[in-house]
Amino acid sequence: MSPYQSLLFFALLALVLLPAAVLGLRGRSLRVYGFAATLVMLLLFFDSWRARLLLAFFYLLQVSLCFGYLALRRKSGRRPLLWLALLLSLTPLLLCKLGGLLPALRPLSFLGVSYMSFRAAQVLIEIYDGHIRELSLLDLSYFLLFFPSVASGPIDRYRRFSADLHQERSGEEYGELLRQGVWKLMTGAFYHFALGELIWQFWLARLPEHGFLATWSYLYGYTFYMFFNFAGYSRMAVGTAVLLGVQMPDNFNRPFLSVDMKDFWARWHISLSTWLRDYVYNRFALASLRGKWFKNPRVGSCLGYFITMTLMGLWHGLTPGYLVYGLYHGALMALNEVLDTRWKKFKKLKKQPAARTVMALITFHLFGFGLLLFSGRIL
Amino acid sequence: MTDKIIDILTDISGADEGEILADTELFEEGVLDSFGLVQLVVALEGEGYKLDLAELDRSQVSTPAKIAQLLQ
Repeated sequence: MSPYQSLLFFALLALVLLPAAVLGLRGRSLRVYGFAATLVMLLLFFDSWRARLLLAFFYLLQVSLCFGYLALRRKSGRRPLLWLALLLSLTPLLLCKLGGLLPALRPLSFLGVSYMSFRAAQVLIEIYDGHIRELSLLDLSYFLLFFPSVASGPIDRYRRFSADLHQERSGEEYGELLRQGVWKLMTGAFYHFALGELIWQFWLARLPEHGFLATWSYLYGYTFYMFFNFAGYSRMAVGTAVLLGVQMPDNFNRPFLSVDMKDFWARWHISLSTWLRDYVYNRFALASLRGKWFKNPRVGSCLGYFITMTLMGLWHGLTPGYLVYGLYHGALMALNEVLDTRWKKFKKLKKQPAARTVMALITFHLFGFGLLLFSGRIL
Repeated sequence: MTDKIIDILTDISGADEGEILADTELFEEGVLDSFGLVQLVVALEGEGYKLDLAELDRSQVSTPAKIAQLLQ
């Protein structure tokens, strides 16, 4: 059973969330109940013993690495140890992604490996930074496995997640979460199942496979489809999390109002782009500035965007199409950087309403063209 | 302190003299972006101030006055 995809899932979700709501309205902690609910839901998602074994192995590997690295970090702050821990942590994800190229590795793939790997890597990096000094086995396990966002995010942060688990709430405060959670679940379902499906059934599925006009139409249809499908899914995940007392941040913020690509990536799949910004781009930019790698420091920024966006592309899969998609967005971000720094009028234009409308349309089309690469329609 | 920060920000962003004021909204006005923030952290390191980029919330450094307050 896949999350958020069948009536059976929603029936089981209601069964799991009902006791949570009763506990929450009584002002009780949802930490232990939520973790138990996560285990039950995972047993249903992972419906073969092979998948359960893979998940169990993955979980044991990540928990051992997090606790093991924490113990080592207390003694030594050497960076190679972090690299080694990250390599081990990301090995299952790499094997799954390599499965796209090597069919023999395909049986190693399992639901949620990407998102759970992001969570584990974040814990390891924050241990290295000294921001995580203590780990609770229950909080870490719950964080890594948290079922509402296990398959497609959003990607939460350990300290924020853990703080939510330990926050004491009155029944009244939970009542407000209940209202928010139900609203997000319902609107998310409307986006995902009504609007996304309508676009698919009555627009995309009826388009011819080839032809310039059909591809042009596909650009619009697929961009809107991706938004409603994915934003709807994320909204349902956030709504479910909120009902379990975890106020996971939203993953989308009106992306089609973006005036340039930097603005766009601050509004689309926010949890992934901020993860990559914090743990890849910022660190590369910081190292390039401290090490004075480039005569013009902004070259470091452009290169940082290329690396970050290429990784983002490859994270979707190790295929030439996703590589081109990542490079395309790297090039757009680098161009954005050049315009920001070299063309003073660019910043002024972003403040003028008429120019903003034109820039939003251009940004929409640039992203839409990227989705044509992503979808494989033109590659 | 605020003047010193305005000088650093003018240098980083290439803004004109007098363009950045103590209460200029740095991100809204396009003075700072992701890379500008990293440049600010490194420039302040050179002045002997240590800011942890990973822990920095944009709201804490949204104006020169707020940056000065944070450093003090």
